[in-house]
Amino acid sequence: MIAERTTKPSTEPLTPAVSTSTRRSRIRVERALAYVGLTICAVIFIFPLFWLLVSAFKTPSQIFANPPVWMPHPLSTGNFTELWREANPLRAFVNSVVISAGSVFLTLFLCSLAGYAFAKFPEAPGHKWLYGFVLGTMMIPSAVTLIPSFLVLVKLHWVNTYLAMIVPGAVGAFGIFWMRQYIAAHVPDDLIAAARIDGCGEFGIYLRVVLPIVRPALAALGIMQLIGSWNNLMWAFVVLRTKDMFTLPIVIYLLQGEMRTPYGMLMAGGLLTTLPLVIAFLIFQKQFIAGITAGAVKE
Amino acid sequence: MTTALADLRRYRQFYLFIAPFFILFAVFGLYPLLFSLYLSFVKWDGLTPMHWVGLGNFRRMLEDDLLWRSLQNTAIIGLLYVPPMMILAFAFAQLLNAQWLKFKAFYRAALFVPCVTPMVVIALVFSLIFSSEKGVLNYVLALLHLPSIGWLTSEQWSKVSVSILVVWRWTGYNMILMLAGLQGISPEYYEAADVDGAGAWHKMTRITLPLMRPTFRFCGLLSLLGTLYMFDEVFVLTKGGGPGTSSLNFGMYLFNLSFSDFKFGYASCVAYSVAIVVFIATLIVNRFNRDEDAAPKRGRLGRA
Repeated sequence: MIAERTTKPSTEPLTPAVSTSTRRSRIRVERALAYVGLTICAVIFIFPLFWLLVSAFKTPSQIFANPPVWMPHPLSTGNFTELWREANPLRAFVNSVVISAGSVFLTLFLCSLAGYAFAKFPEAPGHKWLYGFVLGTMMIPSAVTLIPSFLVLVKLHWVNTYLAMIVPGAVGAFGIFWMRQYIAAHVPDDLIAAARIDGCGEFGIYLRVVLPIVRPALAALGIMQLIGSWNNLMWAFVVLRTKDMFTLPIVIYLLQGEMRTPYGMLMAGGLLTTLPLVIAFLIFQKQFIAGITAGAVKE
Repeated sequence: MTTALADLRRYRQFYLFIAPFFILFAVFGLYPLLFSLYLSFVKWDGLTPMHWVGLGNFRRMLEDDLLWRSLQNTAIIGLLYVPPMMILAFAFAQLLNAQWLKFKAFYRAALFVPCVTPMVVIALVFSLIFSSEKGVLNYVLALLHLPSIGWLTSEQWSKVSVSILVVWRWTGYNMILMLAGLQGISPEYYEAADVDGAGAWHKMTRITLPLMRPTFRFCGLLSLLGTLYMFDEVFVLTKGGGPGTSSLNFGMYLFNLSFSDFKFGYASCVAYSVAIVVFIATLIVNRFNRDEDAAPKRGRLGRA
């Protein structure tokens, strides 16, 4: 899909202009240049991902061939067999999935619950102060709290557990802010009042009335949390200790040898790590971009 | 008093629903924040008993050459990548915002997809691309009859290599923020400018750029924090700040101090001090700009 599209836009506007005025032809040239420039940039931006894909299927000598091998033929799967021999990528994949799924689920649940409370109970005592406090916590850089957070995990005996990866970052100010905004704008008060008259409890209202309406906001927050959690290297590096607990980024980081970097194997593992996210992004593109822009509006 | 209690009871669901945040924040936010402040005044490796050193850690910062080196590197890397990244992001946003552009979805996805990729993998791909003798980048340079460059092996170029990686990874993100900023500008301004016969240049300098200033500032702040606390890029691409300490940024330095040297007290002191300086700087910048942002809007409306 991508390949067939790239060549088209650059040639299309170059067809001779029907208009006779010089001004219109100048605009045509400008636009053609814009298409050429954008297309070149798009190709450059995709190139590293393309390189990851083809390098995963190269033999070690092809990876460092000069001139470079643009498209290996035949495709070699040796890197994947080596990866399976040297590491346990399936286990790491499962760890990554469990941690990301747990993290996404917990974040969505807790942030939407708090977001609902902050959106629909403005008259509760202390509401304004508490919400201001939540937003204020966004200013705290995680570098300052890194060491004591780790020490807390040691005390809780959570080092080298899934909990250590899931719980500390589960509910953040941004997630609450994002859900509150969406709930305040999209869930009508009448609907909540009607459910209350029908004898629905507050948690029931959250579950049956609020959640179905805010699905788009959940998708956006979920994909953002997924990317952060799936890609996390530093925190994983600090809290995960044994091979059976490692996530994909850690496995890949540790596969680099002291002397020799086994690039073939790393590219194979890298492809396994990158592909799920790129696919998730292509599916949820719209929601993800909406989430980012919401982050900017808070300023 | 009883009414206040009754109120609390009436809204107990509200407090119940927001409680998880406050509990988790107390354990993984507030307590670490306070404990870290305490640690700033002690010497501690995490195993042996703590030693109170008072302001000793702060004094030590002044003589810590590596700290200043890392801050200097951070500033240089920031200066190397922020201007090209911002200009690229703004140009992309401007083009994606144009009505005549086709294949918008494709361009947006292509320019944005780097932002979702795992840094550890991408840094390894870049170290292949940057490789001195067999890398694609030096191959292309050779085709253009340019001398090959030791992207990751020379002290002069390691910062440039990190900057290229950061530009690749974060331009799309800034592009989306700027696109949102552009779409937030009311079309009425441009219509009024058209009536007055203003050209593209005037529209850009009199309407777009001034109204985009809050967005630029937000992107700038994100970049500042991003460069300061950047970790994965340096950890993997230049193997923790190499060659030597030529690409060691503040985030990497702080990580080493904490989890390789186990200087928990001193590391907390450094983290706190830098965070406070950044916080104050941000406040000052925002203060200066708030008045400026408010003022010219009215003037421009009058002119247009």
